[in-house]
Amino acid sequence: MKQSKNIRNFSIIAHIDHGKSTLADRLIERTGTLTKREMEDQILDNLDLERERGITIKAQAVQLDYKAQDGQDYILNLIDTPGHVDFNYEVSRSLAACEGALLVIDATQGIEAQTLANVYLAMEHDLEIIPIINKIDLPSADPDKVKKEIEDVLGIDASEAVLCSAKTGIGIDDVLEAVVKRVPSPSGDSDAPLQALVVDSKYDAYKGVMLYIRIVNGEIHKGMSIRMMATGKVFEVTDVGVFKPALVDVGSLGEGQVGFIAAAIKNVRDARVGDTVTSNDNPAAVPLPGYRKATPMVYCGLYPVENSDYDNLRDALEKLQLNDAALLFEPETSAALGFGFRCGFLGLLHMDVIKERLEREYDLTLLTTAPNVIYEVFLTNGQIEMVDNPSLFPNQTVIDHVEEPFVNATIIVPKDYVGPVMELSQEKRGEYSNMTYLDENRVMIHYALPLSEIIFDYFDRLKSVTRGYASLDYELHGYRPSNLVKVDILLNGEPVDALSAIVHRDRAQVRGRALVEKLRSVIPRQLFEIPIQAAIGSKVIARETVSAMRKDVLAKCYGGDITRKRKLLEKQKAGKKRMKQVGTVELPQEAFMAILKVDK
Amino acid sequence: MVAYTEQLCRHIGRYRKIMPVNPRATIYFGGGTPSVLPLSCLEQIVYALKAKGLWQRPAEATIEVNPGTVDGEKLKAYRNLGFDRISMGIQSLHDKELKTMGRIHNKKEALAALDMAQKAGFKKINGDLIFGYPGQTLNSVKSSVEELVKLGLTHISVYSLSVEKGTPLAKDIKEGKLKLPDDNMVGDMYDFIVKYLPEHGLRHYEISNFAKPGEEAQHNLVYWHYLPYLGFGIGAVSFTGRERRTGPLTMAAYLAGGKQDIEKLTSDIQLEECIFMGLRTIDGINIEEIKERFGVDFKKKYSKEVTECELQNLVEWTENGNVLRLTAKGMQFGNRVFEKFM
Repeated sequence: MKQSKNIRNFSIIAHIDHGKSTLADRLIERTGTLTKREMEDQILDNLDLERERGITIKAQAVQLDYKAQDGQDYILNLIDTPGHVDFNYEVSRSLAACEGALLVIDATQGIEAQTLANVYLAMEHDLEIIPIINKIDLPSADPDKVKKEIEDVLGIDASEAVLCSAKTGIGIDDVLEAVVKRVPSPSGDSDAPLQALVVDSKYDAYKGVMLYIRIVNGEIHKGMSIRMMATGKVFEVTDVGVFKPALVDVGSLGEGQVGFIAAAIKNVRDARVGDTVTSNDNPAAVPLPGYRKATPMVYCGLYPVENSDYDNLRDALEKLQLNDAALLFEPETSAALGFGFRCGFLGLLHMDVIKERLEREYDLTLLTTAPNVIYEVFLTNGQIEMVDNPSLFPNQTVIDHVEEPFVNATIIVPKDYVGPVMELSQEKRGEYSNMTYLDENRVMIHYALPLSEIIFDYFDRLKSVTRGYASLDYELHGYRPSNLVKVDILLNGEPVDALSAIVHRDRAQVRGRALVEKLRSVIPRQLFEIPIQAAIGSKVIARETVSAMRKDVLAKCYGGDITRKRKLLEKQKAGKKRMKQVGTVELPQEAFMAILKVDK
Repeated sequence: MVAYTEQLCRHIGRYRKIMPVNPRATIYFGGGTPSVLPLSCLEQIVYALKAKGLWQRPAEATIEVNPGTVDGEKLKAYRNLGFDRISMGIQSLHDKELKTMGRIHNKKEALAALDMAQKAGFKKINGDLIFGYPGQTLNSVKSSVEELVKLGLTHISVYSLSVEKGTPLAKDIKEGKLKLPDDNMVGDMYDFIVKYLPEHGLRHYEISNFAKPGEEAQHNLVYWHYLPYLGFGIGAVSFTGRERRTGPLTMAAYLAGGKQDIEKLTSDIQLEECIFMGLRTIDGINIEEIKERFGVDFKKKYSKEVTECELQNLVEWTENGNVLRLTAKGMQFGNRVFEKFM
C-alpha cells in the first residue's frame, strides 16, 4: 500500500471576510487537534498584526488527524493562504504544496474579485477545487444563487458544493469528508531520491533557518545530509517535525507530507523559498519547478526620524527580510531626510505591515515617503533607466519617453454602480477591456489601469463611489508609454527631494496645485513664514504659504499648575518627536503622504 | 462656608512642620474667590495661621478679590487683618465682554472696586486681564489695558486665553456659538501689550506678568524660583522641593477629610520643572544655582538644546554667561524653549 494514500494536502482560498480563518479554526477544533480551551481565536493568524487586521500575511500550516466515516485515519495538512492581492505570491507558494483547495464563498455575498483571482491561481496549479458556501445560517444567505454564480462565472460544478456555517459549526463534518473523498492523495514516489519543495522559511534564533517543506518524492530524516539544489549548499538535518499547529518533532517525513526541517542553516539566502531539497548522497536529477520570484511593485523611502537610528533600522530590515523574501531594501540618501532605505514592497498593505512591524517590534520612529511605482525611462542616448525614486527621475531634456506599469483590474460591482466605476476608471487613465454580467444584478468589469493610480487613491475612490459594494483585484500586466513629468516641491525656496512626485502631464497643473494646498494644511505653523511651491523643472506651477505662528506659550503658571503644565509640555514634545527636521522646517509624516491625499 | 472654614482651620492647626518656615514668608489667599468668604471666616483663618507661626512678618500678603464680591468695608477689614496687596480679577473693561466671559461684575463695578481698594489704603494692586477671548478685538483689548494703566496699578497680569478641553467655553466654540479671534489678531494683541506696558513703567518680568520696579509679586516669584511653599484648602498644593502634595479636589472630599495626593518628584523631574519655571521670568535660570541644587553642569548637559534655541533667537546668556533667560521672542514662544528641556 502506498504510504501517502491517506494524506490530503489542501488550502483554503477566499475573498477577505468570507470566513476562511473561522473555517480553519473549526476544522482544527473538530478534528481535536486543539481543544477548545487551547484555541485562541483564529489560531493560524499568529502575527499580532494579522490578528488586529483580520488578515493573513504569511502562509501557515497545520496537520489535522482525522478519522473519516470510512473508518480510516487520515492526515489532513491545511496550508493557510493570505487573501490580499499583495500576497498572491504567497498564495501561489502555498498552493504548490497542495492537491486541493477549499473555495470559501460567503452565501450572502457571492463571488468577489479576490475569489476569482484565487480560483485562477488554484487552476494554474491544477488543484481539485471544492466550493464551500459559508454563512448559510444568516437570514440573507442565498446558496442557490451562489451556486449558479460558481457555475456561470467560474465554470466549476457546484452540484456538490458543501453548505456550512463555520461560525455555528453546521456542515463542518461534510467539509472534512469532502476533503477526504475529493482531494487526491499525493502522487509521488517514496522510493525515488528526495525532492522536497521549500514552501516558506522562518528564522529561529536557536535552530537557524527553519524550512517549511512539502515532500514530493522520497523521504527525509534527522541526521540526513541534504543539498539545496539551487545554491548547492549541503547541510545536516537536525530537526524534522510537523505543525499541530505548534511544532512537534517526528524524526522523519515521507512522500506527500508537509512539515518543517532545521539544519543549522545560518543564512536565509542559502535556502531560498522555492528551492528543492534533495539528498546529498543520492541526489535527484532535476529540481522541482520553483516559484516565480516575488517582484516588488511599490517603492518608498524609509527614514528614521532620529538619524542615529539608521543602523537599528538596517538591522531590523535585515531581520524582517529573513522571513519575507519579497521585501527589498537598499540604502539611499535624501538631501532632505538624510540616510535611509529605498524599499520595495508587493503592494500598499505589505508596505503598511512592514512599517508597522518595524515601529512596533523594533521600537523605531520612521518616516515613509509617498509610495511610487518603478518607471522605465528611455533616454535619448538609447539607454533605459529603471527609476524607483521620483527624486532620481532624469531631466526632461534627456528623456525620450517614459513607460509605467499597468495592471489588469477586475472590479465586481452591483450593476447600478457601473456608471460611476467607469467614470472613475476613465478619470484614472484606465482603458476599458470588457464587462460581464455575473447575474441579473452584479457585473464584472475589466480595466487596464496604471498601477500608480491604484496606489494613489483608486481603491478608496472606488469604495466611495460604490458605497463600499465594489471588490477589486488586479495583476501586473506590463509597461506602457505614458506622458509623465516630475513635480518638485520647494519649501522656503529649497527643493525637498523626498516630496517630489511623478504625475501625468495633463494632470500636473491640477495635482501640483492640490498638493501645495494639502501641504499648507498639514504643515504646522512655525516661527517663520514658509512658502510652498510646486514646480516642473524651473517653472513654478503653484504656490501657497504657511503663515508664521504668532505665539506659543502657556500663559498662567503658578504653584498649583506645575504638574499639569509639565505634562502638557511633555505631550507637545512627544508630538514633535514624530516630525522630521528638513532644513529649518519641521515636517510631519502627513506631509510626505500629502500626494496620496489630494483629492484630484 | 462655616464648615469649610472650620475644616481649613483644623488643617492649619494640625500642621506639623514638614519644612522650616521663614518668618518673612509671603502669604497668598486666592486661587478661587476668597472675597466671597464672610469676614468672620477670613479672620478665623488668619488667626489660625498666626497661631501656628505661619503668618509672622510676611514680605507680602495678598488677597484675591472679585470686583462683584467686595465693598469698602471688606477691603478696609482686609487691610486691618494685615493684607497689603490686592489682586483683582478684572479681565476686561467692556461690559459686553465681561458678560460673554460669564463674569458677575461690569466695568463700573470694577472701577469702583479699584477705587475702594486704593481708598482702603492698598498701595500694591494687581489687575488681571484676559486677551484672545471670543468677542474681543485689538481695539477693545487696547482700551482695557490703557485704562487700567491710567488708574495707576502697580502690577498687571495679562493672560492669553487657552481653551481647556471639556469646558463649557470649549463646547460653545465647537458648536460655533462663540468664535475665537484669529491668530493674527491675537498676535497683534500680544504685540501691543508687551510694547505698551513697559513703555508705561510696567516691566515685563514674567511671561504673563508686568510690574512697576520693586512691585513684582513676591509670592509668585517663589513658584517661579522653584522654592517650597505650603498650601491649605480645597485642591491646595504644597511643595517641599522633593514632593508635591495636592489636597482633595471637591468640597465634599475636603470636608470628609480626604487624603492628599502625594507626587514624588524624581531629581530629573525637579530639574525639568526648575528650568521651565525659572525660564518664565526675566531673571532666567542661574547655572551656578542649578549646579548647587542638582549637581548638574547645565551648559554641558543641554549644550545642544541651548544652541538650537539660541539659533532661533529664543534665549540669551547674561551675567557673564551665568544666567540663561528668554529673549523677547522667547517670551512669545516659551513652549518652544521649555519642551527642549523636558
